[in-house]
Amino acid sequence: MTVYLPIAELSVSLLLLLGLGAGVGFLSGMFGVGGGFLMTPLLIFIGVPPAVAVSTEANQIVASSASGALAHWRRRSLDVKMGLYLLAGGVAGSVTGVQIFSLLRGMGQIDLIISLSYVSLLGAIGALMLAESLRAVTRRRQTGTSARPPRRKRGWIDALPLKTRFAASGLYLSVLPPIAIGFFVGVLAAIMGVGGGFIMVPAMIYLLRMPTNVVVGTSLFQILFVTSLTTFLQASQNQTVDVVLALSLIVGGVIGAQFGARAGRHVKAEELRILLALMVLAVCAKMAWDLVAQPEDLFAIMPALGARH
Amino acid sequence: MTGAALILLVAALAAAQPTAPPEDEPTIVAALTREVVEIRSDFTGADLILYGAARGLREDDDIIVVVRGPLSDLRVMRKQRRFGIWVNSAPVRFEDVPDYYAVAATRPLREVGTFTALRRSGIGLDNLRLSAPDTERIETRFGAEVVVSEIGEEIAEYRGAIARTRLREGVFAETPGGVEVLEGGLFRALVKLPAATPVGVYTVEVYLFRGGAPAAARSTALTVRKAGLEQAIYEWAHQRPRLYGLAAVIMALLAGWGAAAVFGRR
Repeated sequence: MTVYLPIAELSVSLLLLLGLGAGVGFLSGMFGVGGGFLMTPLLIFIGVPPAVAVSTEANQIVASSASGALAHWRRRSLDVKMGLYLLAGGVAGSVTGVQIFSLLRGMGQIDLIISLSYVSLLGAIGALMLAESLRAVTRRRQTGTSARPPRRKRGWIDALPLKTRFAASGLYLSVLPPIAIGFFVGVLAAIMGVGGGFIMVPAMIYLLRMPTNVVVGTSLFQILFVTSLTTFLQASQNQTVDVVLALSLIVGGVIGAQFGARAGRHVKAEELRILLALMVLAVCAKMAWDLVAQPEDLFAIMPALGARH
Repeated sequence: MTGAALILLVAALAAAQPTAPPEDEPTIVAALTREVVEIRSDFTGADLILYGAARGLREDDDIIVVVRGPLSDLRVMRKQRRFGIWVNSAPVRFEDVPDYYAVAATRPLREVGTFTALRRSGIGLDNLRLSAPDTERIETRFGAEVVVSEIGEEIAEYRGAIARTRLREGVFAETPGGVEVLEGGLFRALVKLPAATPVGVYTVEVYLFRGGAPAAARSTALTVRKAGLEQAIYEWAHQRPRLYGLAAVIMALLAGWGAAAVFGRR
């Protein structure tokens, strides 16, 4: 059964979309990652225009982060004040990102920039994840305990001005780092269609030294609002959000995430994390190959934007 | 209006060929099996049949059917390797390029019409007018005004790229032998619309070629439109983009919270 995507202007199999949603949802449920950084490249591989893939994925992340954010809100396992500073940066980043997106689209370079961003980000994350999980596996084999993130000493972050108290995190910290992190993640949400949790969570743990019990909730809080804003801006400025595609992915993703979360409780996380890292690297390699391989056609044809002159 | 145009056309042709006896003048009528094609969620392309009849069709006459989709402006960019990566560069803007273009004829076009006649009516992929006004200027050479491209021979590569890409996508087609002449001046041709066929008004032109030039012509229209929910969503996204964006966000929020409620708190 095929479904016609009105914005992507493409007929695709509904089962394929549900399968993609479920597959990526399974992984995100199991590992607690958002999955946007896997879904957007996969959508591009099946022929969805990159601009539509990025904007629509932001829409899907709204749904996948909503249930998680709500659960953390109920348990109060989030730092609202920190979340608001991250959000302030995120709003500015998302608006900037959507402007950059429109500008690059006008120049005919948006697809290239999306691919380049993915190759560098997926390469870095995949490599870090692989190294980290290999280290964790060997350490557990040696000592029999799970890995703990190392704590850093006080550094340049504490020298920054505009300090304030974050009660829920038990921190006295400048507001500048959260705003900067939020901004960076907001730009990524607009240009790459990712929530940015995979950057924000390590940054909160290692850079801001937030306690781990509020990190995920706070990050989901920020992601929920930033991807909502990004979806709205992409829809109103670039008309690149495909709700039929988003809904198909959401339905698949919701189901996949449930099974993923259940499966995640019964398996060894570190070994699976190696598998995820290898998958991320495989997607990265495919995208990199598409950038350097001789294209099928040496010309690219796209609609001319803007008025005639 | 098309009737009036046809009369004018026939009159013009008669004036242009004073040697042809008037009672010998051929006429054509043609109709499509469907004049409206609707794209719904299960659309995978459509095959239409154009039926026609030519009065005064001779043994060595030929029929050509040209289907042109809506026109749009394109930007064509050349991919160049920079630092090992293929980058789009050197854009050329083309104006009024048909999003769909198909030609079918009783025989190969070259045998049917003269270069000038085919060129004038824009029949055949090689004769399709693809103009890039930004790169063109008009010069007077030997007393005649000619259009000169500022990027010289390169423009031909850009034009070739448009045709090549669209042939690959199935929205451009040229089928010699695609028009079948039946008995008594009847003929038919298959019009294939791929799944990715553009939305808009298409014109279907039917020509009767005699002695290398069109002796009769007729045109009819075909509309391709998105229908049902797909059309509503597309129009909504483009006409009320803010409302659409808001609805997309609310839909996702409800779906996320709905899922949390259904599967319970973990």
